[in-house]
Amino acid sequence: MTTPRQDYLSEHVRDKLIHDSRVNEQDLRVHVGERSVTVAGNVSTEHLRETISIVARELLPDYEIVNETKVVPVAEPEGEEPVA
Amino acid sequence: MIRVAAVADVHFGMESHGVLRPSLEHLPDRADVLLIGGDLTRCGGPGEAQVLADELRGLPIPVVAVLGNHDYHADKEAGVRARLEAAGVRVLEGEGITLDVNGVRLGIAGTKGFGGGFRGAHGSDFGEPEMKAFVGHTKLLADRLGRALTQLQADFRIALLHYSPIEETLVGERLEIYPFLGSYLLAEAIDTAGADLVLHGHAHRGTEKGRTPTGIPVRNVAQPVIGHAYNVYTLAARSAEPSPAGIGEADGRLL
Repeated sequence: MTTPRQDYLSEHVRDKLIHDSRVNEQDLRVHVGERSVTVAGNVSTEHLRETISIVARELLPDYEIVNETKVVPVAEPEGEEPVA
Repeated sequence: MIRVAAVADVHFGMESHGVLRPSLEHLPDRADVLLIGGDLTRCGGPGEAQVLADELRGLPIPVVAVLGNHDYHADKEAGVRARLEAAGVRVLEGEGITLDVNGVRLGIAGTKGFGGGFRGAHGSDFGEPEMKAFVGHTKLLADRLGRALTQLQADFRIALLHYSPIEETLVGERLEIYPFLGSYLLAEAIDTAGADLVLHGHAHRGTEKGRTPTGIPVRNVAQPVIGHAYNVYTLAARSAEPSPAGIGEADGRLL
């Protein structure tokens, strides 16, 4: 595969994270800098968070991967809201 | 009073065993029903659905869900649905059910819904077949939702969706993707049929609270938005019409 232009690298990473069956996350933000890739957003498990770094590194092995994704908290809520 | 616990976008993967169940321990004391607004799985695999089904199995309150776009990705949505239903989860698509909650009839109509955009900027089923199919899918599901809501014989009615019916609960998302996050056609169907509450997910960076143009409360319960295992919404008791004979003897059972 032809190496994508730097201008479009972030979209190639985002597309990879959407379609790689180990991740399948549509809601990640990707920023590609000079020699680093930053991925941010919410994920459902710590395992998925770690997998995002692995998949991004596979695609761009020469870049530093900065993983700023956060695992969504699943604690019980405090109260309730009357709506009707 | 009816207490409705709701969440969406739990995105269960094969490694998600034990993620949700500990937070459901007190759920039966806090809510009469649990509604899940789609994206139950990460890639739409029946195996992922099984992981979630195992977390939900045996809950002593009814669990009702719709599927989301992730649940369709593997083209195995029937398998996803089957795994969940085998665990007692009722999955709706263009359908409604009525639950008896302490003698009060709670009707729920559900659909995944789809995109297209909002008033003044909605896509049209015009031109290429792909565009006709895109908007046509939304029209079909909105129509089915409206009919399902209308047919509910209930004291309270809830519309359970994955995609959003309004823009207000999308605030926080990029404007460019609004047409892929929901459609006003869903709101129009709900406002025409009437409902007491609308629940949806899909917009992870959206806003929890909004209203349809006629004032029906809308809540975006995507887990990244609510930041909890679920939220609880209460519907105040009205003077309920008498339930049909033979109905209402068991709390929270499916009618």
